[in-house]
Amino acid sequence: MKKFFTILICKLLRFVGKLIGKGSSMPGQIALKLCPDILKRVTLPKHIIAITGSNGKTSTVEMIAHILTKNGKTVAWNREGSNQIEGVTTMVLSNATLGGKVKADILLIESDERYAKKTFSYIDATDYVITNLYRDQLTRNGHPEFVFDAIAESIHDDTRLILNADDPLVSVFGSGRDNVVWFGADELSSDEKELHSVYNDGAYCPVCKSPMTYTTHHYNHIGHYACTSCGYRRHDTDYTVTAVDLKEGWLELDGKYRISLALKSLYNIYNILAAYTVARLVGIDGKAIADDMNDYVLKNGRVINFRLGSRTGTLLTSKHENSISYDHSLRVACAYDDGCDVLIIVDAVSRKYFTSDVSWLWDIDFEMLDNENIHEIVLAGAYVNDLASRFSYTNIPQKKIKLFEDIAEAADYLNSERKETIYAITCFSDKEKFLSKVEEV
Amino acid sequence: MKLLHLYHDIMNLYGDYANILALQRILGNSGEEVTVDRLSLSDTATLDDYDFIFIGSGTEKNQKVVLEDFQQYKDQLAAYIASGKPVLMTGNSFEMLGRSITDGDGKTYDGLGLYDFTVTEIRSKRYTTDIIATPCFSDQPLVGFINKSSMIRGVKTPMNTVTFGIGNNDDEMTEGVVDKHFYGTHITGPVLQKNPHFLIHIAELILGRKPADDHLAYEKKGYENTLQKLSERK
Repeated sequence: MKKFFTILICKLLRFVGKLIGKGSSMPGQIALKLCPDILKRVTLPKHIIAITGSNGKTSTVEMIAHILTKNGKTVAWNREGSNQIEGVTTMVLSNATLGGKVKADILLIESDERYAKKTFSYIDATDYVITNLYRDQLTRNGHPEFVFDAIAESIHDDTRLILNADDPLVSVFGSGRDNVVWFGADELSSDEKELHSVYNDGAYCPVCKSPMTYTTHHYNHIGHYACTSCGYRRHDTDYTVTAVDLKEGWLELDGKYRISLALKSLYNIYNILAAYTVARLVGIDGKAIADDMNDYVLKNGRVINFRLGSRTGTLLTSKHENSISYDHSLRVACAYDDGCDVLIIVDAVSRKYFTSDVSWLWDIDFEMLDNENIHEIVLAGAYVNDLASRFSYTNIPQKKIKLFEDIAEAADYLNSERKETIYAITCFSDKEKFLSKVEEV
Repeated sequence: MKLLHLYHDIMNLYGDYANILALQRILGNSGEEVTVDRLSLSDTATLDDYDFIFIGSGTEKNQKVVLEDFQQYKDQLAAYIASGKPVLMTGNSFEMLGRSITDGDGKTYDGLGLYDFTVTEIRSKRYTTDIIATPCFSDQPLVGFINKSSMIRGVKTPMNTVTFGIGNNDDEMTEGVVDKHFYGTHITGPVLQKNPHFLIHIAELILGRKPADDHLAYEKKGYENTLQKLSERK
């Protein structure tokens, strides 16, 4: 009876919440108060696929759901992106009958990395994808090794892990396990032999702390690594990006399937690869997956095209407090051969937490904007002086850089006769402040 | 002028390296020729060769690896500090100078023992907060960010008095440790960019005279903005 009422109340709250535009955490939160072990009491589908990691969770989950749905599977997933236990509970109960049976072939769960243990103390995932471990949201996450320990506590022995072989921090999760599937990228045309990023979280072996060497860097600490001492090295892959061409805009999977990229960037390749890996493991044909992923444009609003007067532009949603996410966006702008202007906004550092910390700006490789494709750089927001200080430590000519504390003034300034396209790079916490000044297309 | 950035590639969380760049610039603008040596685990430094030493913050695991290597500098560092030369250690790097560090699993590591404090890390716990703290050398507060998992007890000469944020431990609103011109603070990241008066103070200690400071307009405005935002929150 308790189960019945809890599910009923959760469904009602979700229904009302949707009408009044409330988020998806609250119904689950109340359901957990009414029945703390409700997630154990419901009947879950045979396939439960979980995804965590620092970056790419939401995009990967969206693509997996897209592929599986296209291929005739019913999928229950947290499409609103509420990824702590409360949001997961809302999602699971919303998809359940009043008798407590989740009506789907596959339950697909995006999980917050820091608190994954909570969710998976009730749910036993059959497959668990871990995308990457980056410096991210230091205001809550501390640092990647701290998050590693938090994720480790959420992994069950009988769960099959699906791991990014190219991330040395993530790959440690596979040590001593048999039930691991590895995805990764071969040496790519976009790789660097010498790393150019500001720091290298793969400089020392995560197992024994001896120096590591790389034969190739895809970016930052992601690449082909080997410890100089203990034998820890990149694992061979089961599912692989075998080539990319960022000029033409495609990637090739397992030497067979070519997928054209909506955004000519590494931005999304690991998300596509992880989605492909999961779909293959579920039994979807490789060619069908490739067809579904061709020119796939994410629906989650991470990449938005806009008009500003006579000018065109693209907003690349990046994450404040996450230098790798910024580095990816900067690379997209640098690769734009017709020349572009770049707008960077730091106005509210965090969406959820109060902080004025901008130390993460120093981890971003802004130096790469000293590039002939970058014509003008506009820095804006309450932290414009911190941005300006950071940029003063690059070789970018100061005359290329314009400063505006006010985002509206920055938008006015950009609304000019200039022909260059605009790449606007900022976070969820700040993007609406700019989007309200432009026309989305 | 010779500056040493020790353990630059392993004690390097969140932009700590920028402190050295700030000093390099202010000393250069003050007419000095500046060289920076970036050394790490496989190197051996002669500390007395340098006019300033900096070590940044690291993960708890990296700190333990560095601590073992750092023991070789115990006597050199004690003499260096006693001579009054400036040293800055941010984040958990200064923890290494105490008597001991006990990790989250209860294992205890010997510190260098230059000071009498002890450090206890708490498993699965993270203390992250913005901070406003008044340093011993100025009435003007420092701003910054604390990101740690440890409680530090027994510091006799703290560097800062905390007015917003957390101190060395739950019970004390004092933070870091100071000894002559050695400054150890759990504030992490580009502390000197964020606090131009701290940068000027350190530069003055290195130079023995007032440094040029007319290039710090962005940093000064950035500091005022952050101090205001944090004060509103207080």
